[in-house]
Amino acid sequence: MRCTGFIAGFAAAASVLAAPARSQELVVAIFGGSFADNAKICHVAPFEKATGAKVVFVFGSSPENIGRLRATKGRPEIDVAYMDRQIVIQAKAEGLLDELSTANVKNIKDLYPIAIDEDRRWVAFMFSGTAIAYNPQKVKTPPTSWADLWAPEYKGKIAISDVSYSAGMHFLIAASRLNGGSVENIDPGFEAIKRLRPGIVTFYTQADQVVTLIERGDIIVAPWYVDRVGAAAAKGIPVALAFPKEGTIGITPTASVPLGSKRKELAEKYIDVLLSPEGQKCYAERQYAGPTNKLVELPEAIAKMVPYKENIDTIFFPDAGYIAKTLPTWADRWAREIVR
Amino acid sequence: MRGAQPSRWAGCGLLSPVLLLLVVAFFAPLAFMAPVSVRPYRPGVGIGEGFTGEHYARLVSDAFYLEIIGRTVLLGLSVTFLTLVIGYPVAYFLARTQSRWRHWLTLLVVFPLLLNLVVRTFGWMAILANRGLVNDLLMALGWIEQPVKLMFNFTGLLIGLTHIFLPYMVLTLMGAIQNIPRDLEHAARVLGSGRLAAFRDVTVPLSVPGIVSGSILVFVLTITALVTPRLLGGPTYQVMSTMIYDQFLRLLNWPAGSAMAFMLTLVVVATIGLLNRAARRWGVR
Repeated sequence: MRCTGFIAGFAAAASVLAAPARSQELVVAIFGGSFADNAKICHVAPFEKATGAKVVFVFGSSPENIGRLRATKGRPEIDVAYMDRQIVIQAKAEGLLDELSTANVKNIKDLYPIAIDEDRRWVAFMFSGTAIAYNPQKVKTPPTSWADLWAPEYKGKIAISDVSYSAGMHFLIAASRLNGGSVENIDPGFEAIKRLRPGIVTFYTQADQVVTLIERGDIIVAPWYVDRVGAAAAKGIPVALAFPKEGTIGITPTASVPLGSKRKELAEKYIDVLLSPEGQKCYAERQYAGPTNKLVELPEAIAKMVPYKENIDTIFFPDAGYIAKTLPTWADRWAREIVR
Repeated sequence: MRGAQPSRWAGCGLLSPVLLLLVVAFFAPLAFMAPVSVRPYRPGVGIGEGFTGEHYARLVSDAFYLEIIGRTVLLGLSVTFLTLVIGYPVAYFLARTQSRWRHWLTLLVVFPLLLNLVVRTFGWMAILANRGLVNDLLMALGWIEQPVKLMFNFTGLLIGLTHIFLPYMVLTLMGAIQNIPRDLEHAARVLGSGRLAAFRDVTVPLSVPGIVSGSILVFVLTITALVTPRLLGGPTYQVMSTMIYDQFLRLLNWPAGSAMAFMLTLVVVATIGLLNRAARRWGVR
């Protein structure tokens, strides 16, 4: 049968159909959940009011967002991409990101230096971190150190994150530093977690699993994200935050504009709102996001719950570039030595 | 008179919907993935240029990967076997019964398919968890002291996947058994065969096509299932599909993920081939 012509015809027709219908909208790839809900209130609303443009959200995790950029390299369908630091570094190395102009992103000058990429391919719009979440109804003396998690009273009552998520790799780093190791010399971390392994209830792969685990009483303690603890506690979940004395491990979600975006200027204006003192204050109050803009002043109640001002100096920010390169090795070891 | 004959293109016309679907949904991603799977990958830098077979080499030389591939195949075969053993009597009954409840009973088989997969899997999590229904019951009865581990291991996946894919097996078998004329079974009985012998020598061999297509369907669905293994297996109990997911979406290593995906495809194609050959032998016995 002479079907070749048909196939070619269909392939052509399909490629025409696949071409996206474009309109004058700003497409933003953002993390889902309360993250996006609060971004709508704090960032999208003022942006739309100021520019008259319309923001469309596409939801995805950092790896999903870099996947989108990779698949559409040079002709992206999104204009602003949210990614965590160790992922955005990889996106930059792959040449997927455009340089931000200081003329459009005016607030860049007020950021802490650690929040800006040296080539201005990304900016961090919030500080968060991995600290210790515990159930204050069940834990009498709150933990004060990462070392406390190895205490016998938490045996069979602790969950930790899988290593490929921030909370997991950060706990590994914390465990390593605690036992004479470092990010580069991670062996002590693996040894320590192996010791903890028999008492670990589960390895969570979604941050909000911790909510269920604590509510059901399966666990009473877990390394978890600072901002999530604040949001969960505000909803009435019995969970409180302990900042370990060795320091929380820092997380810096970033925003960037993909190379080839047709609405770069508009995208930069959106990012400028993310960095503005008003936008960051609102996000700190609603999402427990530590501000990266030096000018933000927070009420005391919120200031205690987020990485803020002099607190930021105590946060340990691991070398995200090194982690991006090394994480696959860690994940491999983790699969073989810890969870197998 | 020639004009009355259907044109040679008519076949293409009839095939075109499925051709379109195959080209767009199957061959295009394969064509994209094949070159990616032989590219080197440097973490932190990205997908490099050049050619390498390392991703395939690691899959077949590393004991860790071989264990996961082996476990995936074993899981597929076990689920297929269980759904066949559990599903055949059900399908036979539904295909042969004269009961006026028949349609309702068939609906009962289909009913689980109407529920969202995630919801069904969460149901199993509630049942199998350390503090779930089964363990609570056994502990309340005093039969066990510590909860039995039913989740995040082979048992959990086996139970969950068998339940989820059973309807596919039953429905496929029902169709095959319904197509066997009852007269053949009657003839065997008339000629002196016992009920069991008639079932064994007539019904089962004639339903082999149904058994084969049901088994292929369930096997392929099982080893490519992602949601249930992710939820019931967790990060501690990996199968090939979850490993591929991790390579793509967590480690960003598309080349290794693509190589694994091709390995999975190879496993599927090989198993289908073997099953078909076995069935042909069985059929001509």
